[in-house]
Amino acid sequence: MEEALQKICGEKRATTDPFELAPYTRDVAYVPAILVHLLTNPLPKAVVQPISAEEISSVIKWAQQGKIPVTVRGGGSTAYFNCIPMKSGIVIDTNRLQGFSDIELDQVNDRKMVWVKAGMTWKDLDDGLRQRGCAVCSCPSSAPSATIGGWISMGGLGIGSVLYGSVHDQVIAIRSVTAAGDIVELAQATEPSDLQLKDLMGTEGTRGIITEIKLLVRDVPEKEEHLLAVFNNETDTGALMSWVGGEHFTSLYNVHFSSPEFIMTLQKAGYAHEIPPGKYSLEIDFEGKRGDVDNAIAQITSQVKLLGGTLLAAGVGAEEWADRFKSLRLEQTQPSLLAAEMTLPVSQFATFYERLRQLGQKTNTLCVTYAHLVSPDMALVMVLYPSDELNLIRYVVDLSFTNNLYKLGNSLGGKPYVIGFWNTPYLGKIYDKEERDRRLQRKHAVDPHALLNPGKGYKPPNIILNSYVFGFAMLMLGFFRPLVLKVLKGGKGQ
Amino acid sequence: MKTSEELHTQIAKTSYICGSCGSCRSVCPVYREIGWESSAPRAKIALAKEVFLKHKEKKATNQYAQRLQECTLCGKCAEICAAGINTRELWLNLREDLRARGMEHPNLKQMAVQLKTTHNISTFPNEARLDWVEDLDEVEVEVSKAGSEVAYFVGCVSSFYPMSVGISESIVSLLDRAGVNYTVLGSDEWCCGFPLIASGNSRQVTELAQHNLEKVRALGVKTLITGCASCYHTWTHEYPTILGEDLGFEVLHATQYMARLIRQKQLVPGNLDETVTYHDPCDLGRNSGIYDEPRELLQAIEGIDFVEMPHRREMADCCGGGGNLAAVDKDLSQTIAVKRVREAVATGATILTSACQQCVQTLQMAARQEKLPLEVLDVTELLWRSLEE
Repeated sequence: MEEALQKICGEKRATTDPFELAPYTRDVAYVPAILVHLLTNPLPKAVVQPISAEEISSVIKWAQQGKIPVTVRGGGSTAYFNCIPMKSGIVIDTNRLQGFSDIELDQVNDRKMVWVKAGMTWKDLDDGLRQRGCAVCSCPSSAPSATIGGWISMGGLGIGSVLYGSVHDQVIAIRSVTAAGDIVELAQATEPSDLQLKDLMGTEGTRGIITEIKLLVRDVPEKEEHLLAVFNNETDTGALMSWVGGEHFTSLYNVHFSSPEFIMTLQKAGYAHEIPPGKYSLEIDFEGKRGDVDNAIAQITSQVKLLGGTLLAAGVGAEEWADRFKSLRLEQTQPSLLAAEMTLPVSQFATFYERLRQLGQKTNTLCVTYAHLVSPDMALVMVLYPSDELNLIRYVVDLSFTNNLYKLGNSLGGKPYVIGFWNTPYLGKIYDKEERDRRLQRKHAVDPHALLNPGKGYKPPNIILNSYVFGFAMLMLGFFRPLVLKVLKGGKGQ
Repeated sequence: MKTSEELHTQIAKTSYICGSCGSCRSVCPVYREIGWESSAPRAKIALAKEVFLKHKEKKATNQYAQRLQECTLCGKCAEICAAGINTRELWLNLREDLRARGMEHPNLKQMAVQLKTTHNISTFPNEARLDWVEDLDEVEVEVSKAGSEVAYFVGCVSSFYPMSVGISESIVSLLDRAGVNYTVLGSDEWCCGFPLIASGNSRQVTELAQHNLEKVRALGVKTLITGCASCYHTWTHEYPTILGEDLGFEVLHATQYMARLIRQKQLVPGNLDETVTYHDPCDLGRNSGIYDEPRELLQAIEGIDFVEMPHRREMADCCGGGGNLAAVDKDLSQTIAVKRVREAVATGATILTSACQQCVQTLQMAARQEKLPLEVLDVTELLWRSLEE
């Protein structure tokens, strides 16, 4: 295998060395080996690092002959095994697909765009564009590690989404390799072919492999300002989030919520001391024309006062903004965090938070929450809670709490953000039956042998992840969790 | 000095913090060249977690050791780390452990033996430390002169390597021109110990630190200056910790001291009509926080068109010469350096400056190898050239 793949990609860009393969069995989340090996076969047989669509095409055609599964991996910065092989096979590591084209100007529609290779990180692209007077429209909160192709393959919501929408709305065209190994260019305006542009967005590399993207970009804004408002309770905080989204400010770029527990955890690690303890904070970021920014700030300043909030000194918001990619600093005092990430209607945010606090109290669980406004009426919420990966029993029973969080979110209109492997039991909560059937139909149409990233996104790959079986298992684990925590005296996380 | 147990506990604790987010990947000069996930800082930390937190000793293989030593210690991963981990400290601790396991690279083992014998990183006897002075016609360099205000700690590279002696010649010429009452230590100067720290052999540094401190203290100087970014870092950050005491005198990098002389009008830079860029040495910039003074010097030279590289200051790329990488994998070090000199050429600069003898040497070799129209100089060399011309 190594020899064949090295013929395609060159000696230094294809490997079967077990030492090199091992890191490709991991993403951000720790999952106990016993669970991983019970449910998956994550160790690839080979990893390749192609530098062109042609090489990817050859790899896929070669893999097809032996019916070998192919899993594509970008930054490996997701947490649901989205880019981890379920059935071994070949991993295509896209990180050598680097670079972007000159900026194109579409005078008719007054917009700018670039062709960018799939393996660039969002931060690298943004840094490169800024040297040319432009910037990305939005980016994930993992921009230093997430790749362009990766985020487009995922949910596509993050910083800047409240103004520019999902990254899927910023994609003009995609160059891709199909499951059959054909190289295609797909654009919104083209006739539907076997593989369509939408097949590649948010589908986690299960229908084709993105190699290059034509992406809308924006001019570097005239002005940016970063405010930090603090509130005494979730009701006022939620009210401001709803109001600010509803006002449709043309310069409102990002709104980031931090719970008192999140702030406290950061403060324990030596950060965020400018924020008064016990407060709910909203970092509100403006980017745009000078007048628009000034006008929005004036209005928001009055609204914050009206809701009983306080704006912290100028500079505090800017500092928080500068650290926008560093939320993991809370791991300094709370390593081994488990999480649930979901989209939630902003109108329900205060209620969600209130019930979350009650749930945390009831189960003796510290819930550390942050969120982004990703549209005028939708927030992307991340709830983290401490566990202990050094204690298998504790860790496994703690997993049930993620299920509780999703249940709570779902009761208020929330949905798990991405699917990957571990969220397949929640597919029924994310899509209705019609949409699930449509998705499955598209998968069969474009990848009939299910060779691209098998086991993800469409249906639970085995009985244990069937929603009923999984739900029952979580219920049982949840039942034993208080006992386990009691025996372990709450564990290190409490 | 940490006990083995303390070292292991510290590594375990730090590696537990890592969330494997991978922010460190795209800024790591080594990962960018090797490309395999195993060379990314997060993968090395994941292995450390296995070894030290989960006690899977079998994971400490030769490949693991090789990856840990394929690192320039540039600290850019620490700068961007989403979890705020002091990764540079972690790499040093891991190298300490490698040495204790007898797994350090043979070239590093050899270097430690060499240093013990000659007290410098070259094969020359330490008595040859001032051979470069013989090339100076107009400047008299006095050794261990009592009553001096300033001692100049030359550093091994610009003492022994012909490519780099221009730096020491420029520094003493500038001190002389400014009328500074200075001295050098000659053969009393021993290696600062930085290469040993970088190879996980900090125990051997104590003797060097004690010796150097004793010799400088005996001179009674108010200020110690050095043109080497790594010597500067070692004197200011490592010695006080290793020796557990204040040094009792001021330590400045040569660029800081020259900037002071210019501000006090003791030194008036000349004129040069050149386009110049500046490479921040990792040990002076990111690891010691000095960014402004080298730029201040360059901008004080009339006629210079100063241009910045895209990767600069806190986010400057490494030259490839740090962390003993050249001793472990010379080609890898050189490939990283080539990238950096190309970035310099892309700015339109004809001169690339730095403030570190190791960086200058590494970048010079890369520029020559690539036959680029780029001269590589230390900031002090350019400053002296402006006065000479």
